[in-house]
Amino acid sequence: MRIEVQIAELRPMLLKIARMQLREPAWAEDVVSETLIAALEGATAFEGRSQVRTWVVGILKNKILDHFRRSRRYVSVDAQADSAQVESLDELYDDTGHKANAPLDWGDPEAALSQSQFFEILQQCMDKLPRSQARIFMMREWLELETGEICDQLAITSANCFVMLHRARLRLRECVEINWFQTGSASG
Amino acid sequence: MADPDESIDCRRAHELLSRQMDAPLTPAEWALLRAHLVICDLCVLVQRQFQALRAAVRKFGA
Repeated sequence: MRIEVQIAELRPMLLKIARMQLREPAWAEDVVSETLIAALEGATAFEGRSQVRTWVVGILKNKILDHFRRSRRYVSVDAQADSAQVESLDELYDDTGHKANAPLDWGDPEAALSQSQFFEILQQCMDKLPRSQARIFMMREWLELETGEICDQLAITSANCFVMLHRARLRLRECVEINWFQTGSASG
Repeated sequence: MADPDESIDCRRAHELLSRQMDAPLTPAEWALLRAHLVICDLCVLVQRQFQALRAAVRKFGA
């Protein structure tokens, strides 16, 4: 498949990621357009050292960071709204504070990461998170922003920031484990 | 430093494991977490899983 076609086909996926990060749908459209233009311009120089998808998502990441730098505070009334919605983690623990279900050994995560299906599952699990949790998790882990910067940008306290990241990680590990590691290895 | 008699449960350990990825823990918190990880293999697994999630998301597009 020609690289231009491959790039164009990534648009829905890019838009989904951008919408998760940016409050205004129009901003998401803008950064995705900028990303596609940059990718098409760079396509002839792309030497296939990584997958096309990885390369284009990397461009998007920089476009989103540029957008954040231009517009100092990009939030997000909903960060406040749905962090106020109290979400109980009690079901994940028994009375003694231990895990209700023992975690599995994921083995070599590198092996899992080499399979694109793993990313689909991760994406599906991300979709199940409350929107503000998914956004903050991606700001921290994908955009690699420091928590101080995230708190400042989202106008939330650092305590709130830590709580949301913690919840996102617990939910994601649970979801990924159920959908990837258990179905793959356990027969029961 | 941490009270040597003080200990934490898995729930608190997970919270510290997560926060450690975002900001430095206080020496007391760090000591409590270390003491828990020595006796709890399951929390060691959770720690690896949090790190694997980070690695996965970073690999998603760099």
